[in-house]
Amino acid sequence: MIRFFKFLIRLSSFMGKELIEIFRQPKLILTLVLGPFLIMFLFGLAYPDQGRTLRTTFVVTDPNSIKEQINTFTRSFSSSLVNYDIETDKVLALEKLANNQTDMVIVIPDAPLKTIQNNQQAEFLVYHNEIDPFQIGYIQSVARIYVDEINRQFLQSMVDQEQGDSKSLQENLEAAIIKTQAIRKAIPPGDVTTATQVADLEKDLTDLHEKLTTFRSLASGVVVSPFSEKVSGLFNVLLSVTGFFAPAVIVLLLQHVSITFASLSIVRETRSGIMELFRVSPITAFETLVGKYLSYLFFGSVLAGVITALAVWLLKVPILGRLQDYVLAVVVLLFASLGVGFLISLISETDTQAVQYSMLLLLASIFFSGFFLDLRMMKEPITYIAWSLPATYGIRLLQDIMLRGSALPLLVFLGIAAIGIVLFLVDWILLRKKMESQYA
Amino acid sequence: MLDNIIETQDLTKTFGAGVAVQSLSMQVPRGTIFGFVGPSGCGKTTTVRLLTGFYKPTSGTLSVLGKPPTDFLKSDREKIGYLIQQFVLYPDLTVWENLNFAASLYGVGLFRRGRLNKLLDFVELRGDKYKLARDLSGGMKRRLSLAATLVHNPELLFLDEPTAGIDPLLRRKFWDYFKGLQAEGHTLFITTQYVGEAAFCDLVGVMYDGRLLMIETPDGLRRKAYGGDVIGIRTNEELRFEHRQQLESLPIVRGKVKIVSDQEIEVIVDDASTAVATLLEWSQAQKLTVAMMEQKSPSFDDVFIRLIETEVAHD
Repeated sequence: MIRFFKFLIRLSSFMGKELIEIFRQPKLILTLVLGPFLIMFLFGLAYPDQGRTLRTTFVVTDPNSIKEQINTFTRSFSSSLVNYDIETDKVLALEKLANNQTDMVIVIPDAPLKTIQNNQQAEFLVYHNEIDPFQIGYIQSVARIYVDEINRQFLQSMVDQEQGDSKSLQENLEAAIIKTQAIRKAIPPGDVTTATQVADLEKDLTDLHEKLTTFRSLASGVVVSPFSEKVSGLFNVLLSVTGFFAPAVIVLLLQHVSITFASLSIVRETRSGIMELFRVSPITAFETLVGKYLSYLFFGSVLAGVITALAVWLLKVPILGRLQDYVLAVVVLLFASLGVGFLISLISETDTQAVQYSMLLLLASIFFSGFFLDLRMMKEPITYIAWSLPATYGIRLLQDIMLRGSALPLLVFLGIAAIGIVLFLVDWILLRKKMESQYA
Repeated sequence: MLDNIIETQDLTKTFGAGVAVQSLSMQVPRGTIFGFVGPSGCGKTTTVRLLTGFYKPTSGTLSVLGKPPTDFLKSDREKIGYLIQQFVLYPDLTVWENLNFAASLYGVGLFRRGRLNKLLDFVELRGDKYKLARDLSGGMKRRLSLAATLVHNPELLFLDEPTAGIDPLLRRKFWDYFKGLQAEGHTLFITTQYVGEAAFCDLVGVMYDGRLLMIETPDGLRRKAYGGDVIGIRTNEELRFEHRQQLESLPIVRGKVKIVSDQEIEVIVDDASTAVATLLEWSQAQKLTVAMMEQKSPSFDDVFIRLIETEVAHD
């Protein structure tokens, strides 16, 4: 009993010490709490829930000939998506593009109808000045939508025209049917052959008339685009940009804070020389490590609680799942992240080295954890790196619980827990080695 | 009868090709202040680290509290206090928090406030208990470290250069603390570069270049350095060359007579208590009026230098 009591006292030595050291830095705590909240807030302000506005310059030889089509086209998009102007000189338009006075130049082909009549496609040339692959992709999408829209409008006008033209044809058909009926009545009884032939003709004419009626009754828009799409999510939640990124930001922050604190913790003690004192004292590597884990887990949990509360109440980020699942996910994320941090601390020789490793890990987490890019877009070998980062699991867990309202995804939870346990064991072994015979 | 709290036999520690401690054999009796004296880099800290179990010996045997430090249980470690040479406590914690941390490290019970306050009184830091360690002076940091070393009331204390870099007044105070601790029954193993501090020890081990040259009482060290007791003689008359020759030929006198001035000399004798009478007789025979005759206590700096010079010459 006394031994267990002493064990608890020794554990408390690090719990108390680490927490006092952290809470003695109120500015740091304020930065840790308010920093991510402000980042999320500004992020939400900076990126509205719609695509980028593209300033577009159309190059056309005769502006009056196409102005109406352009107006119609731009109206079909959101008004903020395309701000356009018209140029007649392509060189001038490209100069504007180079000088960042416009974002996209679309050169309308000359006499497109003539080209089409010659059995050729009329080509729209689209120019941009982007280097970001995602922005280039965005412009390509807009250009494709633009050309699809032009094609649709062209076809629709053709259909409208054909429907109009078919009216007289239908009238002619009606007259022909009446004449055929008259001929059929005039055929003497017994002339079965002629009667059959005329009846067939009448039937063909009637079928044709019905088809034409159907064709004329269809709206030209339906004829040109007979299919449309309607996309619905299983979880009918409309998220803002801030709402979507909030769980990932919380995860990245918690991982980074845990790793940074833990990575500096042991390396500082090794360098200060106090490790020599620990070696001589009765405290064990296990007690040291557990004490440190508990203190940082406590601090990380408080930090997570405050940031989550701010995100929910002030930024209206939802938690659709169960709160206990959210708490479990945060704790396991902190546990695994601390494992990484202590590992860094145990293999680093200086503070600077530890900080560098932590920053590298943050960078890796931003790129590979699914923070910006969906993991499903990643090539398979790289996904192994992604799934070795606690943030990858954390983002998946928090997004599912907060935004989808799912129950705790068990496989993901077990994955990060396993990483945490393995890291704890590795850290324990390394610290034991460090404390037991540092220079033996 | 005194039993030995520390015993080593041919203890050796090497780092690669370098020998830090070579064939060190010693016994430290329980309840003593054992001074470990030697110049910087002579192997004092390595010896302490071997004795505390921080280093494993390359060869030889050692026993601390009755067993090799590698076999220490937690209960054994609780009996040891270790003051590291540099300040290793946490600068962002207060004096009180650092002390509490050290107490928890050793599993000291939660009702320890009284003991900690008593310790702060002992090292005269009670008024500074809420100061951050980083704001303390060098001497205060040393005192805080000492308090942290004593927090679990250890039986055996290893103090590695506890007085290094602090002013003479505070050094003196530290030695008063150490005497107080000895009086309470603690055994103290103290390393120091200040050879003068050997005077405060019960036993002194002299370390040089990884080797333990000798273990003696402070007086024993003097005798060993000079080959006997030193007696100073001052006369009213001038001491001539033939006087010195006659003195050196006396059977009680060891070696050469040291000339201090025209009227003052120092002679080394086997035993000062018996030699004084013989020397007075000789003075009267020479018709010399003795103005002063007394046993000299050479400073430990001189003793130490003499011992090292002898050792180097012997090598």
